[in-house]
Amino acid sequence: MDKKVKTTVIGSYPAVFDNMVFMDDYFNQNESSWNKIIDYAVDDMVEAGVDIISDGQTRDPFLVIYARKLKGCRIRDRIEVVDKVRYNGSITVDDQIYVKKRLPKNKELVGLIAGPYTLAKSCVDMYYNDTKELAFDFAGALSEEAKNIQKYVDMVSIDEPFFSVEMPDYAEDLITIITKGLSRPTRLHVCGDVSNIISKIVEIPVDILSHEFKASPELFKSFKDISFPQEICLGSVRSDHPKVETIDEITVHIQNGINVFDDKICQLSPDCGLRNLPRDIAFKKLKNLVKAGEKIYG
Amino acid sequence: MFSFTNDQKIFEISNIKIGGQPGMHPTVLFGGLFFKGEPDFKIAGKNITKMLDLSEKTGNPGIVDFFIRKEDYVEEIIDFIEKTIPTGHPFSVDITDPSVKVKTLEMLHDRKLLSRTIYNSIHVGITPEEYDALKRFTPEMTILVAFNPKDKSPDGKIEVLENGAHLTSKGLMSISKEIGIKKILVDTAALAPGDNSGAAIAAIPVIKEEYGFPTGCAIHNVVEKSSWLDGFESVRKNVDAASNVNIPLFGGDFAIYGPVANAEMVFPVIAWQDILVSEYAENYFGIEPVANHPRRKFF
Repeated sequence: MDKKVKTTVIGSYPAVFDNMVFMDDYFNQNESSWNKIIDYAVDDMVEAGVDIISDGQTRDPFLVIYARKLKGCRIRDRIEVVDKVRYNGSITVDDQIYVKKRLPKNKELVGLIAGPYTLAKSCVDMYYNDTKELAFDFAGALSEEAKNIQKYVDMVSIDEPFFSVEMPDYAEDLITIITKGLSRPTRLHVCGDVSNIISKIVEIPVDILSHEFKASPELFKSFKDISFPQEICLGSVRSDHPKVETIDEITVHIQNGINVFDDKICQLSPDCGLRNLPRDIAFKKLKNLVKAGEKIYG
Repeated sequence: MFSFTNDQKIFEISNIKIGGQPGMHPTVLFGGLFFKGEPDFKIAGKNITKMLDLSEKTGNPGIVDFFIRKEDYVEEIIDFIEKTIPTGHPFSVDITDPSVKVKTLEMLHDRKLLSRTIYNSIHVGITPEEYDALKRFTPEMTILVAFNPKDKSPDGKIEVLENGAHLTSKGLMSISKEIGIKKILVDTAALAPGDNSGAAIAAIPVIKEEYGFPTGCAIHNVVEKSSWLDGFESVRKNVDAASNVNIPLFGGDFAIYGPVANAEMVFPVIAWQDILVSEYAENYFGIEPVANHPRRKFF
């Protein structure tokens, strides 16, 4: 692909599944597979025309995907940490390999990593009683996953929403643990209102910053007078609202982004993961995003 | 052999008690009927009589698990239940097709049999129609199948009981509570060999310690599916029957042991295991076996 600005996703896509299929597998003593559900998500993204696709994170809410496979965590009503957190082998590697094989040659794949701080702040800590220590152990474990997936993906994206609520002094160190030594481009996604922490976010050593510019257009103002080295993934359709933005509406939004970021924009995406939207709405949003991107960037 | 620190629930259905600390109640044995082909009521009747005789002899309660494969069979199987299963004795209905489940519940209600019914089962595949039917025609007892396709470990089984593992909006325990079924048996969902099959056994003490519900599984399914045993065909039935020993050994309360015709091999094996467990449980933990326990019959 020659064009510089690509359409992509933040991560999740609505999961469509029938539990009776799993139960039929159980009754017949066959091993269950999640591949068909991944197929729905990936096929939708491809059909919508998105350039950089994810595995759809359909297996679970995004934090649970990682916690489920990490040693020291267990899933109850919330994620519980009951022992020292350690990497216990591949979390999403098999899915990345599966999706990569399935993707048309002109499409790229983004590998996703949950933010260590968001994980630490979202779980019930029954072992550490120390958020910082827990967050660093999450970061260490997730860095191994990042290293393992980078062989199969074109970019690694770290999803750290909790920074918009509370950004610790050691935020940069946490993300650096994950990004250090990666050969693929890296993206940091922080949704919510990040206007008060922009100066800290831009210090984080990643290639691309991704934010919810559509839901929080005031961020354009906040970024206006700041110089920073990263490129921008411009959130351009809302992920928290079922109204499908028109192509024209998205085009105007992208233009507003260009007015602030100019050629720093390298990606157009939804504001956040689309998991909580109905599938048809998510698909239409992606389709219109792609069309709006084509309208501006060709 | 061990005892649980958490309170253990004991549920009664038609004079059969199930649950409690290891060594207290005998293992309840579910023998299945009509898995394949047309129901053969003649042979079934003979096998039921045999199983109930063995139950009498050993002290292990035997419950017939009627597999109802399609709607056409619902009425004739329920007629058969009415004729064959002694009044005051429970039975279970094992149905996979949600629409057959709905029809069966309605008919069990019409025949006033729900107070003797163990519903096999509630699981993540529950449909809104099935849920509504269960609310209208509520069986006395249900089996919850703790199958979690995302995580086949004991933790995954707990997850599906507790919160539905993001497959259902609620955990299976909450669903049965909402329906109004208080008497819950947990089936730890035995899987095929190589698919974390041992987790069904390991999950028994974990779930009993966590919730205290009577717990067991159909561990014989693992044996049935084992192609490795093709090389030992002459002993497959022995291995099948012996596999059930794991359940009382790990503190479990019931075994869904496969075809009712296997009763002859399964009952003595389980009775023997119950005796061993009871001897130790009484000596070490002071847990006395109930009057119909196999240990009381043999000594």
